[in-house]
Amino acid sequence: MAEVRLEHIYKTYKGGVEAVKDLNLTIRNGEFLALLGPSGCGKTSTLRMIVGLEQITAGDLYIGDRRMNDLEPSERNAALAFESYALYPPLTVHDNIAFCLRARQMDPGEIKRRVLEVADMLEIRDILGRKPAELGGGQKQRISLARALVRDPDAFLMDEPLSHLDAAQRAHMRVELKRLHARTGRTTVLVTHDQLEAVAMAERVAVMNFGVLQQVGTFDEIYNHPANEFVAGFIGEPPMNFLECEPTSQDGQTALRATDGSFSVTLPGELRARVEGQKAGRLKLGIRPIDMIAAPKANGNGVVEIAGNVYTYESLGEEGQLAARIGSNEVIVVTSPDVTFERSQPVWLQLRTHRIHLFHGDTGVAL
Amino acid sequence: MHPRTRKALTSIFSDGFLLIYFLFALFPIVWMILVSLKSTNELFTTQFVFTPTLENYQAIIFGDPRAAAGVVARVDFPRNFLNSLIVSSGAVVVSLLVGVPAAYALARYNFKGKDTLAFTFLSFRFAPELVVIIPLSLIYRQLGLYDTYFGIIWVYQLVTLPLLIWVLRSYFEDISPDVEQAAMIDGYPWHQIFMKILLPLVRPGLAAAALLAFVFAWNNFIFPLVLGASNVQTVTVSALGYISSAQAFFNRMAAAAVIASVPQMMLALSIQRYLIRGLSFGAVKG
Repeated sequence: MAEVRLEHIYKTYKGGVEAVKDLNLTIRNGEFLALLGPSGCGKTSTLRMIVGLEQITAGDLYIGDRRMNDLEPSERNAALAFESYALYPPLTVHDNIAFCLRARQMDPGEIKRRVLEVADMLEIRDILGRKPAELGGGQKQRISLARALVRDPDAFLMDEPLSHLDAAQRAHMRVELKRLHARTGRTTVLVTHDQLEAVAMAERVAVMNFGVLQQVGTFDEIYNHPANEFVAGFIGEPPMNFLECEPTSQDGQTALRATDGSFSVTLPGELRARVEGQKAGRLKLGIRPIDMIAAPKANGNGVVEIAGNVYTYESLGEEGQLAARIGSNEVIVVTSPDVTFERSQPVWLQLRTHRIHLFHGDTGVAL
Repeated sequence: MHPRTRKALTSIFSDGFLLIYFLFALFPIVWMILVSLKSTNELFTTQFVFTPTLENYQAIIFGDPRAAAGVVARVDFPRNFLNSLIVSSGAVVVSLLVGVPAAYALARYNFKGKDTLAFTFLSFRFAPELVVIIPLSLIYRQLGLYDTYFGIIWVYQLVTLPLLIWVLRSYFEDISPDVEQAAMIDGYPWHQIFMKILLPLVRPGLAAAALLAFVFAWNNFIFPLVLGASNVQTVTVSALGYISSAQAFFNRMAAAAVIASVPQMMLALSIQRYLIRGLSFGAVKG
């Protein structure tokens, strides 16, 4: 077990595509970290650089205290569970798992012991004699995990491990993987584009976009204090609403007015201070769909309300999802099942103002 | 009509069709065997009813008394048979050694002119041999390759190599690179990955393509005819010797053909398990 440290890592592919730019990230010893981002964000490139399948263009990679840049994949003691499982079709499940141990000329008795141990851990002991082609996705997944774990790696890497499983298996494997990590205490990196996966399993989440690390933190940190507009919009379902605003003075106090003039909101003290401190021009107001309350009538007793029109409404049983037009913007609101809405009907949205996020209008950086 | 009756009828028709095709395909072989058992007197006068004799086989294997008497050209069949074996298996072995890495490279790596190169290999196969045979024979005479095993094996690459490369290429393309990378992480050098993981996966294609290549090489006529003489004469060419200006000994020729087809049939039967899967899985795809 060891810490994995990436210092100023760059990856530029032939043809000039910059997959990873100046990545600084430390995965602590024994930590479960998820690399999260949309496809093409550089997360898989990062993983492949750690395991050694991809050359590092610039920067330093350490696992433990050893610099890994120039070592062969087999010398790094990092194990990778592939998205496609990449099992060896001609070999039985047992031999698949034992394959890497045999490469090290390990004593046959010891190989047998370790294969059985890891097979028990992943509950695949009964299929050790079968060939991969005879098995289902969930079982293949377990074998690929067993194969990665059997050699006792310093770093355990997983590339979209659940993407080929059906929904029920996925939920089950999420729990399994978490249990596995708790049991082995191994430094683990999970690459995924699915925030639910990342949040359910990992202790910390690193969000990447366009090859740049956006933010690293616990789910609470990235959800409640997103570093920029991308992270705010990427994390959370349905995604955060963004409204273009500019600071204005209202009754002698700084408030926000929509760029298209459709609404204005007063801000709680702390946010107001930040807006004043920034002297920013254009801003983006971010508010999550669950941080607004939709009502068919104005409440009127001093709360911040925005008037709009219902664009679409769908009842999802336990909750409703409302799309409302406010001036030229469209916002999504999660509504309670008690109220229903009709298309084109007027609607008032109450904002939980302390849940407002503000971003710089040009750079998208959080205020 | 009841579905079950329809199913039974379909099955009868398809079986019947297959049977007819089977007879049709087998007839030349049966005819060849029949002719090979006829004496020269009965050759043109009988069809299915005759007194079978092994004199043709005796003659081609142990020498023809009439050749000794100068009536027909001397044909050293055992020697020609050996020549055929040497050049055909030699050509397949060389094609395997060259073609497997070439197929792998064409499947895995992206390089400039990759598709052009692959197509060039293929074009060797469908370019008519007659187009190149005259320049080739001039070149061969100058290089001293005329009438040598090496020369024939070399020119047979035009026949055997394209087939092998194209079949194996699609096999290699079907193997996920992830598998190789997983084995790399597991700590295996490339040649071991190839032997332990890749080779078992391409084996059906390898067997089928090698067999077909062998058959094509064995059957080739024009290359050994023009580029070889007595030293490397193969059975396909030497069979001509049974036709003299005075008389055509089709019975001798048939006996030679029966013996010459034995290795191919044995090979095909021994690997027919791979043959169907090998060609339908690999070659048909895109």
